[in-house]
Amino acid sequence: MAQQKIAPSPPVDPRLLEILVCPVTKGPLEYDRQASELISRSAGLAYPVRDGIPIMLPEEARKLDE
Amino acid sequence: MPKTQESLVADQFGSQAAAYLQSTVHAQGEDLQKLAGIVQGHAGARVLDLGCGGGHVSYAVAPHVGEVVAYDLLQEMLEIVGRAAAERGLTNISTRQGAAEQLPFADAAFDFVFSRYSAHHWRDFGIGLREAARVLKPGRIVAFIDVVSPGQPVLDTYLQAVEILRDPSHVRDYSRAEWDAALARSGLRLGPVRAHRVRLEFASWVARMRTPVLHVEAIRSLQAVIADDVRRHFQIESDGSFTVDVALLEAAKAIPG
Repeated sequence: MAQQKIAPSPPVDPRLLEILVCPVTKGPLEYDRQASELISRSAGLAYPVRDGIPIMLPEEARKLDE
Repeated sequence: MPKTQESLVADQFGSQAAAYLQSTVHAQGEDLQKLAGIVQGHAGARVLDLGCGGGHVSYAVAPHVGEVVAYDLLQEMLEIVGRAAAERGLTNISTRQGAAEQLPFADAAFDFVFSRYSAHHWRDFGIGLREAARVLKPGRIVAFIDVVSPGQPVLDTYLQAVEILRDPSHVRDYSRAEWDAALARSGLRLGPVRAHRVRLEFASWVARMRTPVLHVEAIRSLQAVIADDVRRHFQIESDGSFTVDVALLEAAKAIPG
């Protein structure tokens, strides 16, 4: 069996990532699978993905460093 | 922690999520079959279940469509929906957490947007409707199911009063006139409306929300002194059970040009 990487959270279906945008700016998101975050550069926020569920709440998001 | 509308909803529903999976008021109804009927013949469609709660809309339509996104403010609800979907073998349901007023979806991402017993919780009804319209493809159908206020002030005031005593996260059961105006302002053209009545058995209605005894007594006290026309309209029974007006409102997003 191939070596498995440790996945912090189940992967998000890539087809459904296509329609996901930042709830604040409606700008695009980048999926950081390692950190299990969806990053909105336009809002400067990183939305967590917990147990495969993207948490698209600005108040739950991590502020990106300047 | 500051008290917001969102934190009130979390307080009220977070620990009670399982009750909404089981609740017969929520799990059953011809309205769910009607939604399944709307999506028939659209096997590739993508559906948004907006404010999915216990996920009953998602379970009803998932067998007929390509994929369903179950969306709710509360993680506890989404965990239950994820588990129930897996138990039912509905592998095309995925979950996203967020607010109705700030949808994290691209414009025109969905073929259908359905929302059942959710809009009365939204902090901003108008923005929620505009967001629903934004993520819907032009020419496609959005359907809302919710308790509607009869409109007349004497009935409206009573309804909102018992609702907020039972559940402090209640915002408003909108009247048909309010729905029609708000849908029109959101660029949605009202289609068929099906009105029906739903009986709420008092003991389970307050138990589901863990309504404090003081508030239960206040509701019962109000019911005891209320005018006969209010009692008749809501068919208030001796044990406090009563019947509300519910509507299924279909609307279509205008095609530009």
